[in-house]
Amino acid sequence: MADESLLSDDLLRQLMATGHVDILVGLPTLNNAATVVDVVRSAQRGIAKYFPRARALIFNADSGSDDGTPALVRDATTDDTGTVSASRPLRTTNRITTPYHGLPGKGSAMRMIFAVADLLSADAVVTLDPNVTSVTPDWIPALAGPVRDGHADLVAPRYPRTAADGPLVTQLVRPLVRAAYGWTLSEPLMGEFGCSRAFATHCLELPALGSGGSDGVDLWMAAEALAKGFRPGQAALGPRLLGPSQRRLALPDVFQQVMDAVCACLELHDSYWLPRGAAAPVPCFGTLNGAAEPGARPDVTAMAGAFARDVAALHPVLETILTEQTLAGVTAAAATPAPLVYDDDLWAHTVFEFLLAYHRAVMTREHVTQTLLPLYLGRTAAFLMQHAKSDPATVDAAFESLCLAFERAKPSAAALWKKT
Amino acid sequence: MTQMVAEAVRQASVNFMDTVAMLLPRILITASIVAVGWIIAWALKWAVRWILIWLRFNQGCDRIGVGAVLKTADLPPADHLVSVIVFWLVWVGFLLSGVDVLGFTALEGMVRSFAQFVPRLIVAIVIVVLGFVVANFAWRATLIAAVNARVPSPRVVSGAVRALVLILAGAMALDQIALARTIVLTAFAIAFGAVMLGLAIAFGVGGGGIARRILDHWFPEHPRAPEAEEFRHL
Repeated sequence: MADESLLSDDLLRQLMATGHVDILVGLPTLNNAATVVDVVRSAQRGIAKYFPRARALIFNADSGSDDGTPALVRDATTDDTGTVSASRPLRTTNRITTPYHGLPGKGSAMRMIFAVADLLSADAVVTLDPNVTSVTPDWIPALAGPVRDGHADLVAPRYPRTAADGPLVTQLVRPLVRAAYGWTLSEPLMGEFGCSRAFATHCLELPALGSGGSDGVDLWMAAEALAKGFRPGQAALGPRLLGPSQRRLALPDVFQQVMDAVCACLELHDSYWLPRGAAAPVPCFGTLNGAAEPGARPDVTAMAGAFARDVAALHPVLETILTEQTLAGVTAAAATPAPLVYDDDLWAHTVFEFLLAYHRAVMTREHVTQTLLPLYLGRTAAFLMQHAKSDPATVDAAFESLCLAFERAKPSAAALWKKT
Repeated sequence: MTQMVAEAVRQASVNFMDTVAMLLPRILITASIVAVGWIIAWALKWAVRWILIWLRFNQGCDRIGVGAVLKTADLPPADHLVSVIVFWLVWVGFLLSGVDVLGFTALEGMVRSFAQFVPRLIVAIVIVVLGFVVANFAWRATLIAAVNARVPSPRVVSGAVRALVLILAGAMALDQIALARTIVLTAFAIAFGAVMLGLAIAFGVGGGGIARRILDHWFPEHPRAPEAEEFRHL
């Protein structure tokens, strides 16, 4: 049951007036005035077009925006775009926007959305990222459909990714989560997702949802679904394009949040993932449409130079984390003149050895994760150098090859983990 | 005359025998105290060593950086070092107690001084160990942060931080055991002041451009441009 202290009396009155809903679309916002209106419109159109008979609620949990985001959500309509929609919903799509109390961050917002879903007995919950500019009405059925049809309890997104698109996901989180948990989940850091009420209710008990973090919360939910036997699914969405954000965390902070979430999940679920074997496929609903945007490309030559300097500077710290063999490999990779080569197996062993160092707490855990950051940037630079001119199919094959390297490295890491 | 000499020798012999008779039991007691003290100190040394091994003390020392420092200084492992210190403290304590039994007035003050010195020595050792812990933590935190923030020469910066903390801890420890207190404090104040002044002059005069860049970075005149075109990692 939802913790009623999460919901104010005024909000409860609004929710009771709304009654049971079939679909709840959750929007956790914080100063998203530039993009949130289009997201709300897309959600409304998606509900009207694909679920015209469904009782639906668009619920906005706002973290204290000072740019008028809640008002924009409340006032956004599909009619003011000047277009005539062929599809009209048979029921009113309710909209509620409310501030939430507690630590600011996506975790607290998600907790409120799940509490509302639990209270209104929503059949399916869809959460959208209000900062994404490429949301289309089709994303609503893609994320809610498999849940409503009883095919999945959690529907994670799948986006087409280029070599330079989201390397923290493609180079680190995806292969690590896949190898550890034994599921071929492409986007463990689910920007948007669909889930059943059962899963939403389960998540209310997650301690991470009471925290203020933002980039690790989605991973907590994905890992919890995999470890606790909820049926996972994936929805093929289009490219994920982000709008300008007024306040974006620096890379070290993002990296810290993500790695903390990954490591904490692996510690919490070790009885589940340690005995898991090869990755089982997660069913994918739909096919990927639309080419990924190439986006901004980093200066990989400068990144490679920085990698060489960073490895040399961090050598005494790396000695306490990496095995002799892996450290020799990393040092050799950093010292080799261009092009930088940091191969899949070496990277997989590097990550697992950092994970073991985190588990054993060989030093302050924050230091372990922050030491991995320069190596991650080096690996990213090496991958981008290698696939500067590769076609999408080759890049996808390289992503798959990296995942398999992580799967090969897992058994030895799991054995060492058990010994600790 | 002969009789007088014989009487003096006899008196001297009697005095000597009286002195020996008076001292011998004390010497035996002293020897016993020293021997028993050695056995107790030896037993304590091994007990401490085993407890430290059981507590994985060496691994803890490795984690906080003490192990690496001991290795560099060609000293034995931390558990061995601690057990040897315990042995010597206990045995020297018994040794001085034994000497005290002899009743030599000149040595009485030594025993009292040692009894007062031991707690200060223990506090000084704790200060040094804590200094190592803090210095190592500060070194690693500075090194990692400097690398990730792209600060030039991160090892020099982090090494300087570690050296400063160690010098501070060393000065505090020496002050605690009151070893050349005035010299230590004066030397520390001069050295610390010289380093700070040198850094200030170097940064202000030699590194004016760098200072301007850093200040511009932290306190920009105009807000930075939106980072829409920046490379995204997620």
